[in-house]
Amino acid sequence: MSQSSLKNRSPFSLLDRAAVVELMESRFGIPPAAFENVSFYRRGRNVWAFSLPEIPNLRCESVGLRFISVRGRVPKPTTYALQLFGRFATKNSIALSTDQAEKFIAGEGQRLDAEVEDGYVVVSYRGDVLGCGLYTRGELASQLPKERRIMNEVRKNCLSDGDCR
Amino acid sequence: MEGLERYRGIVQDFERFVEAMAAPLPVTARINTLKTDRDGLFCRLKEAKVAFWPFSWYPFGFSLDVEKPGNLIENLMGHIHVQEEISMASPIILAPKPGERVLDMCAAPGSKTTQIASIMENRGLLVANDPANNRVASLRSNCERAGAINVVVTRYDGRRFPSSKFDRILVDAPCTGQGMARKDFSVLGRWSLKRSLGLQRLQRGLLERATDLVKPGGTVVYSTCTFAPEENEAVVSWVAERVPQIGIGKVSIPGLESSPGLAEWNGHIFGDEMKECVRYYPHQNDTGGFFVAKLIKE
Ligand SMILES: C[S@@+](CC[C@H](N)C(=O)[O-])C[C@H]1O[C@@H](n2cnc3c(N)ncnc32)[C@H](O)[C@@H]1O
Repeated sequence: MSQSSLKNRSPFSLLDRAAVVELMESRFGIPPAAFENVSFYRRGRNVWAFSLPEIPNLRCESVGLRFISVRGRVPKPTTYALQLFGRFATKNSIALSTDQAEKFIAGEGQRLDAEVEDGYVVVSYRGDVLGCGLYTRGELASQLPKERRIMNEVRKNCLSDGDCR
Repeated sequence: MEGLERYRGIVQDFERFVEAMAAPLPVTARINTLKTDRDGLFCRLKEAKVAFWPFSWYPFGFSLDVEKPGNLIENLMGHIHVQEEISMASPIILAPKPGERVLDMCAAPGSKTTQIASIMENRGLLVANDPANNRVASLRSNCERAGAINVVVTRYDGRRFPSSKFDRILVDAPCTGQGMARKDFSVLGRWSLKRSLGLQRLQRGLLERATDLVKPGGTVVYSTCTFAPEENEAVVSWVAERVPQIGIGKVSIPGLESSPGLAEWNGHIFGDEMKECVRYYPHQNDTGGFFVAKLIKE
């Protein structure tokens, strides 16, 4: 990790791209080419994705997209990162049925069989990525941020079977 | 309707205008091309049996028959952004290109920021600035949901935004918001000439700063959602007069009905070039009201 020179004493520090790209490749099989125009920074316990290899000389509240949380034992990709890049995943990805998707978007955990390794997974429904899940011993826990969940009454009419992709 | 009578002389079909102002706004949204494409999204909506109608003038906007579009799963995934139809006009006039440096000077809650990010294909730099603490949270949340990776959020007073150079700047200024009355009727009762004139000082300061920050050859777009000429032509003509390198460009979006900006109002002469700006009235396209000006630096 190298410290970039920033006049505004930015708390963001540039990260070695390769390390982040490799993490996404080894866990999800996302090809490095998907991140061609993306740089990564660390701020506190998060890795952020940004379009430029240099942070502008401004007092920044945020730079780019919160991408990976390195708070826990294992790096955890954010739902936003997976919604953007998860469609390139070739492993550790779970496609849900309508019933399962209902539970997932309500933030509920559920038992289901999936051919994935334990850990963080890409969760999709009808070909589109819903977000990040945590799979442990046959149980899928939704990692959707609370403010993004959709509860009972409304979720019924927002899901439907079919295949657009 | 309070405060609208003063526009009788400038709005054609005034009775239709007043009628449109009393009707609720259609529910509209924009497709986020950073995460999905038009065919894929429309296919999903069809399968979910959501009735929708694409705009005739903009391929990524549509109206839909849903009471709470915020609860659609497509919204959760960030594939759509619920946004008033006419507010999609200013980023189109701004016409940013992937890889450019762009400033959205009054950005919160980020409807236009996220639209600009998607036009820029997530490349280059988009600075989303807004000093209002309580509004920056929703700006950041909307950028996250949209998956914008080229956005930097700052919190300066736009009038004192630090020296830097941008290819394009959007000044979507704070205003008296009369054009939003179809969403929140109370804005009309709150209008007063004094408020318009107070905001005018701020708007002039913001727009003048934007003309400093834009590169030669660059574009500044100024927009408001109010009808008051004090906050529109009176702001743009004042800045154009003070900053000699600034010229007024023609605003036009095929498929959207509009009226030209005003060359004069109540004895104030703004000049003929203000006719290059546009006024969108609610009865013209069944939208909110809006004003857009394009300033080009030599
Ligand atoms: C019309 S709203 C912007 C809407 C936004 N562009 C969108 O499309 O979602 C005007 C914004 O100007 C901001 N504002 C107020 N004073 C300002 C100043 N001095 N400098 C920059 N922005 C300011 C307000 O906080 C408000 O969020």
